[in-house]
Amino acid sequence: MPIDYGDLTVGQKISDRTHMLDAVLVSQYVDAVEDRTGLCSSVDGRPLVPPMAIAALSLRGVVQDLEIPGGTLHAGQELEFRGAVGVGAELDCSATLAQNSVRGDWRFLMVELVVMDGAGLVVMIGKSTIIIPAS
Amino acid sequence: MTMVEREFGEGDSLPAVEKLITQEQIERYAVASGDFNPIHVDHEFAASSQFERTIAHGMLVTASISEMMTLAFGETWSQSGRLKIRFKAPVYPGDRINTFGEVKSVRDRDSTRTVACSIGVRTDNGEVAITGDASVVFPLSNDTAGR
Repeated sequence: MPIDYGDLTVGQKISDRTHMLDAVLVSQYVDAVEDRTGLCSSVDGRPLVPPMAIAALSLRGVVQDLEIPGGTLHAGQELEFRGAVGVGAELDCSATLAQNSVRGDWRFLMVELVVMDGAGLVVMIGKSTIIIPAS
Repeated sequence: MTMVEREFGEGDSLPAVEKLITQEQIERYAVASGDFNPIHVDHEFAASSQFERTIAHGMLVTASISEMMTLAFGETWSQSGRLKIRFKAPVYPGDRINTFGEVKSVRDRDSTRTVACSIGVRTDNGEVAITGDASVVFPLSNDTAGR
């Protein structure tokens, strides 16, 4: 049964997933974006996750749980990183609908993202604006 | 670990990051992110879209901005970075992208220093794909403040 996006209400939690940002996943991400910062190959024994990998992970649940249709566009993004995350961290990624409106042929959804580490500390928050074909 | 190499003041440019975006890279990003929207990976679908061909994920292109901020501000970007962007134009496979960034203000308040920047990504045909603002906050009590 496809999602009727018009039925989604502001304040509704649309995704809540726990992900392990293990070395394989981080390596996949770094390889994909061709990150050259060296964050994840730290020689001091504390390899870190590129912060945008956390953002990508938080959006994964949104894409999958909202069953985002083909042709959906990403219009805007706000992110706030609140703590460095080490490779191997388990992260809880939740997303809540903050706006749902139609303009012309497009539906605008704004989704608020919160990512917490295993200790319950918020490591990232954000807002994603996505545009879905309204028809 | 990435090291911050110098202090930044108002008007300074951030270190640019340049990348060639390829379809193969877009497909790798789809796997890494779990975002298989056909506008990125299905040539037939994309051909019938308003873009007439596949486009890169916005977050793939945004990663180059984050890379620029990490190169400029090190781990502080991961600890206190803020980013607000708009996706203005698509990036296509074969496009070469360049980030740009400029320090707009350096403000001290209480025990912190906030460095605010205008940032973005431009394609090699001159089109601005992403624009926005980014900032980092340093503790002033730390020797690395302001760098």
